[in-house]
Amino acid sequence: MKALAIAASNLRRFARERSNVFFVLILPMLLILVLGSVFGRGFEPRVGLVAPGTGDPTSALVEGLEAHEGFVVHRHDDGDTVVRAVERGELEAGLILPPGYDEAIRDGSAVEIDFIARTGQDSLSIRRTIDALLAEQMALPRIAAFVSREAEISYDQALARAAAVTTNATGVQVAATVAGESFIARRSWGQFDLGAQQQLMLFMFLTSLAGSAALVQTRRLGIARRMFATPTTVRTILLGEGLGRFGVALVQGVYIMLGTMLIFGVRWGDPLSAVMIVLAFGLVGSGAAMLMGALFSNDQQAAPVGVFLGLGTAALGGCMMPLYVMELFAPAVWTAAHVMPHAWALEAFEVLAIQDGGLGDVLPFLGILLGYAAAFYVLAIWRLRVVLTR
Amino acid sequence: MKFRINRFDRRRIVWRSPFHVAGYHGAASRSGNSDTDQDQPVLECRDLRKSFGELTAVDGVSFRIAAGETYGLLGPNGAGKTTSISMAVGLMQRDGGQVLVDGEPLDPGTTGLKAKIGLVPQDIAIYPDLTARENLRFFGRLYDMPRAKLRGRADEVLEIIGLGDRADDRADTFSGGMKRRLNIGIGLLHAPRLLVLDEPTVGVDPQSRNAILESIEQLGSEGLAVLYTTHYMEEAERLCDRIGIIDRGQIKAEGTRRELAQIVRENDRVRLSATGSLHAGAEAIGRIDGVQQVDVVDGGIDVLVEQAGKSLMALLSALDEASVSITGVEIDEPNLEAVFLHLTGRSLRD
Repeated sequence: MKALAIAASNLRRFARERSNVFFVLILPMLLILVLGSVFGRGFEPRVGLVAPGTGDPTSALVEGLEAHEGFVVHRHDDGDTVVRAVERGELEAGLILPPGYDEAIRDGSAVEIDFIARTGQDSLSIRRTIDALLAEQMALPRIAAFVSREAEISYDQALARAAAVTTNATGVQVAATVAGESFIARRSWGQFDLGAQQQLMLFMFLTSLAGSAALVQTRRLGIARRMFATPTTVRTILLGEGLGRFGVALVQGVYIMLGTMLIFGVRWGDPLSAVMIVLAFGLVGSGAAMLMGALFSNDQQAAPVGVFLGLGTAALGGCMMPLYVMELFAPAVWTAAHVMPHAWALEAFEVLAIQDGGLGDVLPFLGILLGYAAAFYVLAIWRLRVVLTR
Repeated sequence: MKFRINRFDRRRIVWRSPFHVAGYHGAASRSGNSDTDQDQPVLECRDLRKSFGELTAVDGVSFRIAAGETYGLLGPNGAGKTTSISMAVGLMQRDGGQVLVDGEPLDPGTTGLKAKIGLVPQDIAIYPDLTARENLRFFGRLYDMPRAKLRGRADEVLEIIGLGDRADDRADTFSGGMKRRLNIGIGLLHAPRLLVLDEPTVGVDPQSRNAILESIEQLGSEGLAVLYTTHYMEEAERLCDRIGIIDRGQIKAEGTRRELAQIVRENDRVRLSATGSLHAGAEAIGRIDGVQQVDVVDGGIDVLVEQAGKSLMALLSALDEASVSITGVEIDEPNLEAVFLHLTGRSLRD
């Protein structure tokens, strides 16, 4: 009961600080909206296309590009617009076909296509896709041009023959067997799904750590010692303070989950399991906050350090770069990410939302998170006892 | 006729704030000590020791406080007062010694016994963003006070500390004196047997300070055991039944103000401004018991006497019989500053 009294007082004080409403409730939703809008849509790169021709080659290329699932094609009328859009980051790449593209293809003559791209993995991937599409599209015209020249028949006749031959060709079949688990194929997040999960973890932890200043202030004002002078143990004091932080984190977590579900249609998976993850992660955050609150003696330092640690651990824990990207491109970072509780919580959410897992599937993750929480609380109680009685 | 006593004079206090104790019902007065031995002190500290690295902060401090007694620890800043009371209330781990509350040992790990103690720390330990009432109720919950009783008691304490009309205002809107009073109110809330006040008047304006001192006097007279630390000689003289003079972690001397004054073997000095036959008056005074020395000076008579308070009426009667008209009385009593200087070789303000 005493812990509840301490927690209630903590929450009352928290609620009286109006800026907390913004940081706890409004800012996370704004960030989810912004990140989802900018990076959402499954992180599909945007490719600008200028295709002035109306002939079959142009139509076939445009259809091929638009049918590709790896990027989204935006049509533009002139090349300058595309170049500027790529420069501004509005497009990841641009493809500009010259006015005589159809004729050049028909003639089998050389044609120059402008490809504009930003540096990075996306541009390489887009370039490879476009190369493949062009190579595929150029195969028949090249054959037709060659046959027309060698057999001295018209290009159209040669093209028709080449097409007929190609249709009948059996070709080479490649039998593909997937070894191990696919990284990409199993993931099909909605536009806001991954961002919402990441922001949930980031903000719950960040809010908790920033709130460690409250415990430091309680100590600095001499209130913690005064509490200890009452028939109240250090453990109760710390659990009460932690319960207050946990309450804030829980409210924030559930609010973000419900809000993103209703507003952005975010999938969180099995509700009970999702709430369990939020509960466990809230305990981790409040435990970390209590440890910080017991370690620092100046709330002016604790608040900014809390924000720094909150952002840093979130970045390393997969809240700013998806864990699968780390796994693909920087396995060492992926390993390091799992030192952070965020990574385990994010993977637990992935099990729920993407793999349609249930409580049984996330139990190992919950166990790990509760282990973090227990470790933080034990260390915090030990430290606070030392601080209060020395 | 002018009348002056040259030490802190409680009789000259004319301002009376709302901060008076209107019927304090502490555990001691409620129970009438029925459950405790009459001779058993409420608090007994035996040979307390505490060091911080190379620094010995408290070195064998012992004292005991009975119910209804106000005991003062008087010493300069850094003398070991706060460290001593931190150990006395079970806040701080001791390197040695023992603390007994109502005969039971108290350690930092002990919780139950702490309910008998009300601590008023030197720092104002209240939540600035909670109201006075919320602060009281919060600490009341920590003392396991039932909600219904707590509501009534909080209102009662708010009246006692003169904050009844500001009960629902946030503490950060209070003046320094009001915060100090709330700080004390929290210590009184659960009606403890022992009230421990660590320099409660530091930084307080004279009016609030006086009100605080009045309330503590009242508490002592109503059966509460009070441990009071201060570096203000006047407060110790005014409030404390017994005083321990502490310096460099050791109690140098202990006793009533009078007993401590005997250490420096100083008598009270009474200066009588008078007209008439001064020599005849001086002769008459010289025959009074306890008078050590009489001198006729310009415009009056100087008398050195063991206890001015006891001899004053006799002095005035003797002068009246000798047809001496008295126009003023001034008393200089030996103060604790002189005792402290005598014992430590330095001033309380050093």
